[in-house]
Amino acid sequence: MKKELKIIQKERTNPLAHVFDDFISFCQSKSLFMLHYCTGCGAIELPPAMTSRFDMERLGIQPMVTPRQADILLITGYVSIKTLKRVILTYEQMQSPKYVIGICSCTVNGGMYWQSYATAKKLNEYMPVDVYIAGCMPRPEAVMEGLQRLKDNIRNDKKEHKGSAWKDYFNRYDYYLGNQQALFGDDWQTPTDIIAEAKLYDLETEETYGKHTKLLEKHQTPLLPQEMRIK
Amino acid sequence: MTFLDHLFIVVFISLIAISALRNLRIVDKLAPVLYGLILIMLVRMSSVAYGGDVYLSSVSLDLLDFKMHWQFTALSWYFAIITVVAALASAVFMSGDWGRQYREQGGNYGMLQLALIVNVFSMILLLGSGDLLSLFIGWEFVSWASFLMMVLSPTKLAKKSAVKYIVYAMTGAMALMVAIVMIYSVNNSLEFKQIGEVFTQMSTSSQLALVLLFFVAFAIKMGLLPFHLWQAIAYAETPGPGAAFLGAISSRMGMFTIVLVIVQFIGLGGLKQLGISFVNMQTLLAWVAALTTIIPTYIALQQHDAKRLLAWHGVGQGGYMLLGIIMFDSIGSAGGLMHVLNHASYQAALFMTVVAVMYRTGTSDLNKLGGLVTQMPLTFLVMLIGIIGLAGLPPMNGFVSKWLVYRSLLVNGQPLLFVAAVLGTLGTILSVYKLIHNTFLGQLRLEHQNVREVPWSMLVPMLGLSIIVFITGFMPGLILPWIASVQESVGLPVIAHHLGGIEYAKGGLDMIWVSGILFYGFGVGALIFYFLGGKSKRVHQYDNYAGGHFLTSDVRYHYSNNFYPGLMHLIGGWYRGSFKWLENSIVSVVSFFSIFFENIYRAKQPVMLLLIGVVLALFALYRNLGVGA
Repeated sequence: MKKELKIIQKERTNPLAHVFDDFISFCQSKSLFMLHYCTGCGAIELPPAMTSRFDMERLGIQPMVTPRQADILLITGYVSIKTLKRVILTYEQMQSPKYVIGICSCTVNGGMYWQSYATAKKLNEYMPVDVYIAGCMPRPEAVMEGLQRLKDNIRNDKKEHKGSAWKDYFNRYDYYLGNQQALFGDDWQTPTDIIAEAKLYDLETEETYGKHTKLLEKHQTPLLPQEMRIK
Repeated sequence: MTFLDHLFIVVFISLIAISALRNLRIVDKLAPVLYGLILIMLVRMSSVAYGGDVYLSSVSLDLLDFKMHWQFTALSWYFAIITVVAALASAVFMSGDWGRQYREQGGNYGMLQLALIVNVFSMILLLGSGDLLSLFIGWEFVSWASFLMMVLSPTKLAKKSAVKYIVYAMTGAMALMVAIVMIYSVNNSLEFKQIGEVFTQMSTSSQLALVLLFFVAFAIKMGLLPFHLWQAIAYAETPGPGAAFLGAISSRMGMFTIVLVIVQFIGLGGLKQLGISFVNMQTLLAWVAALTTIIPTYIALQQHDAKRLLAWHGVGQGGYMLLGIIMFDSIGSAGGLMHVLNHASYQAALFMTVVAVMYRTGTSDLNKLGGLVTQMPLTFLVMLIGIIGLAGLPPMNGFVSKWLVYRSLLVNGQPLLFVAAVLGTLGTILSVYKLIHNTFLGQLRLEHQNVREVPWSMLVPMLGLSIIVFITGFMPGLILPWIASVQESVGLPVIAHHLGGIEYAKGGLDMIWVSGILFYGFGVGALIFYFLGGKSKRVHQYDNYAGGHFLTSDVRYHYSNNFYPGLMHLIGGWYRGSFKWLENSIVSVVSFFSIFFENIYRAKQPVMLLLIGVVLALFALYRNLGVGA
C-alpha cells in the first residue's frame, strides 16, 4: 500500500529564508536537465516533444547524458525487473534535488503487462515518483502538460509540498529498500550508500532505518572513494 | 682567462670526473652538483644575454694558416642555458630511485651519466664555436654524443633507430662540410662573416646550392621535413631521462645553426633573391616549416606509446620555431626563438612524467594505463601543466611563443601558413588530450591499485620544470630580454617587451592580464563551487554511470584503444606513409648497389680483380707519366 508522502520540514530562522527559498525554487523550476531512461514504447513520443514541433526547451528542459548532472529521470514505459535494477542504480546516482516522471500506463499500474511475471507494476513502490503521465502512449501534448505540472510543483513546493518527493527516498528508505529486496532478493545492493547520503543531507528519520536496512548492512561491501593524496 | 674559459674548464673537468667515477655510486650525487656548477658559470656570463659584450675564449688553435677560436654570443648563451637546465633536471631525475631501478634492471647507469655529460660538453662546444671549423667539429661531436645516448637502450629497435640516426646525421655533416668547403674555396677563410661576403660574390646557382646544403645539414638535425623519420623513434627508445634531455634540446642545435648561419649571414634578402616569380627560398622554407608542424603532429595523434607520441610532437614543434624565425620580423623571430626554451621546458617535464609512470607501472603503452590521477596526483599536475604548454593554451609559456608566431604570420600576410599552423595546433590539442586521458583519467586498473606517487628525487625536477613553464608563461618578460639580445646580435629587428609580454603597434600581448582574467574566471567558479553550492562527496570509480550498467573491476569502461575513430574515419586515408616509402626505396637502392659491389669485389675472384685493378692503375700511371714526359 502506498502511504501518503510525509515531508519533514526543518525550522528556518533566517528572516529572509522564504525569499531565498522562493528565488531558488523559481530558478530550479526554470532550468531542468532530463535524463530519459527510455525503457519502452513511450520513448517514441519524446523526439517530437523535444524538437521544433513542441519544443521542450522553451520550458527550460534539455536532455542530459549523465545522471550526475540531470534533474529529471524520465521512465518511458514498462519496467522489467532487470531494467528496474538499472533504473534504481541510475536514480541513486542522480544528485538531489531530483525528480522522477513516469510516462505511459505501464509505469502506473503495469498497463498491458499487468499480468507479466517479469515486470514491475508500480514504479512508486521502488522510488518516489513526482508526476505520472498516463496513456498508451501519451501524446507529446500530454508529456508537455506533465512537465509543466512538474515545474509548477517545484515552483510552489514551499506551499504545496509536491515538489520534494525525492526527500521521501531518504526519509523512508527502509520502505523502498524492502520493495526492492522483495523483487531482487536479499543480497541486493547498489554502489551508492543511501544511508550515508541521508546523513550527509541531514534527511534521515526513524523510518530511514528498519529491518531491510539491517539486512542490507549484513552483506553490504562499501565502495570507498579513492582519496587523491601523495602516498 | 675569461668567463668563457672558466665555463669550458668546468665542463671539461665535469666530463673527466664523471667518466672516471661513472661506475661508483657517488656519481649519482656528483653529477647534479657539476651541472649546478656549469649553470653558475653560465649565469656569471649572463651579461651577454642583456646586451653585453660577446665573450671570447683566450684559447685558440693554429691550424694551417688559420686560427680556430671560440666565442659566446647572446645566441650561444640562450641555447646553452636551456641545455644546462635540461641536463641538470635530467641528472637530478636519475640521481635517486630511478637510477637504482635502472641499475637493477641491468642498465648501464654510468654510461648514461657519461652520455649526458658528453652531450652537454659537445653542445657547449658547438654553441661556443667562433668559426666554421669549430662549428663543424662541434657539429660532429653533437651527432656522435646523441648516438652514444641512443644506443644505450638494449632493445633491437633502439639500436636500429640509432644507426638510422647516425646515417642521417653523417649525411647532414657531409652536406655541412661541402658547404664549408664552398665558402673556403672562395676567400680561403673560415670566419663566420665570410658566409655573408662569399654569398654575395657567388653566382645564383652556387648560392642556391650553398643555402640548400646548409639547410639540409641543419634540417636533418632538427628533424624538419623530409628528414623527420629518424627522430621520434630514436628519442623515444632512449632510456628515461636521456629521452627527456634529447627531446628537450638536442635537435634544437639545428635551430641554433639555422639562426647562426642562415638567418644571420644569408638573411631575408639572400633568401628572397633565390626564386622564380612568387616562389622564393623564404616561401619554400616557410612551407617546409608549416608541413613539419602538421605531418609529424598528426603522426603523433596515431601513436599509442606515450614516449613516441611526445617524441613525434618534438618533431612537429620544431616547425613552429622555423616558421617564426623565417618571417624575419621582430615578433615572428621572437616567437620562434622563444619556442625553443618553451618547448624544452614542457617537453622535458612531459617526458619525465611518462618516465615516472613507466617507473611505477612498467609501461608507457597508452592502452594499458588509466585512472592514475588518484595514485600519482603530482605527476598528473606536471603533465597537465606540460600539455597545456604543448597545446599552446594560456597561461603556460607555449601560448606566448605560438601567439607571437601566429601574429607574425597574420601581420605578414600569410593566411595559408597561419591556417597550417592552426591545423598543427589542433592536432596537438587532440593528441595531448589522448595522452592525459589514457594515462591519468578514467578507470584505474586492478593491477595499478597499489601504485604510489614517485619519490621526490623524480618529483623535484618535474615540478621545477613545470614552475618554469608557468612562470615564463605568466611573465614572458623574464625571457624576452634574452630574445631581444639574440635578435640584436644576429641582426634581426628587436622586439619591444615588458614584464607581461610585448608591445606592438598592431596589438600587443600582456600575459599578466590574460592569466589574471583566466584565474579570475576560475576564482568565480571556485567561489560558486565551494561557498554557494551544496555539499559534495567523493564517489568510487565503480559508482559511475554506464547506461545503468553495474560496474565491476572486470568491466572496462575506459576506452583508450582506437582513440578518435570518428576523426580517423575522416582523415585516416591520408596516412599513406609516403615518406617511409621514399626512405625505404632509397635504402633498397643503396643496399642493391652495395651488394652488387660487394659481390664483385669480395665474392668473385678477389685476387683476379685486384690484379686487373693494379694493371689498369699502372697503365694509367704510365700513360700519365708518358704524356708528362
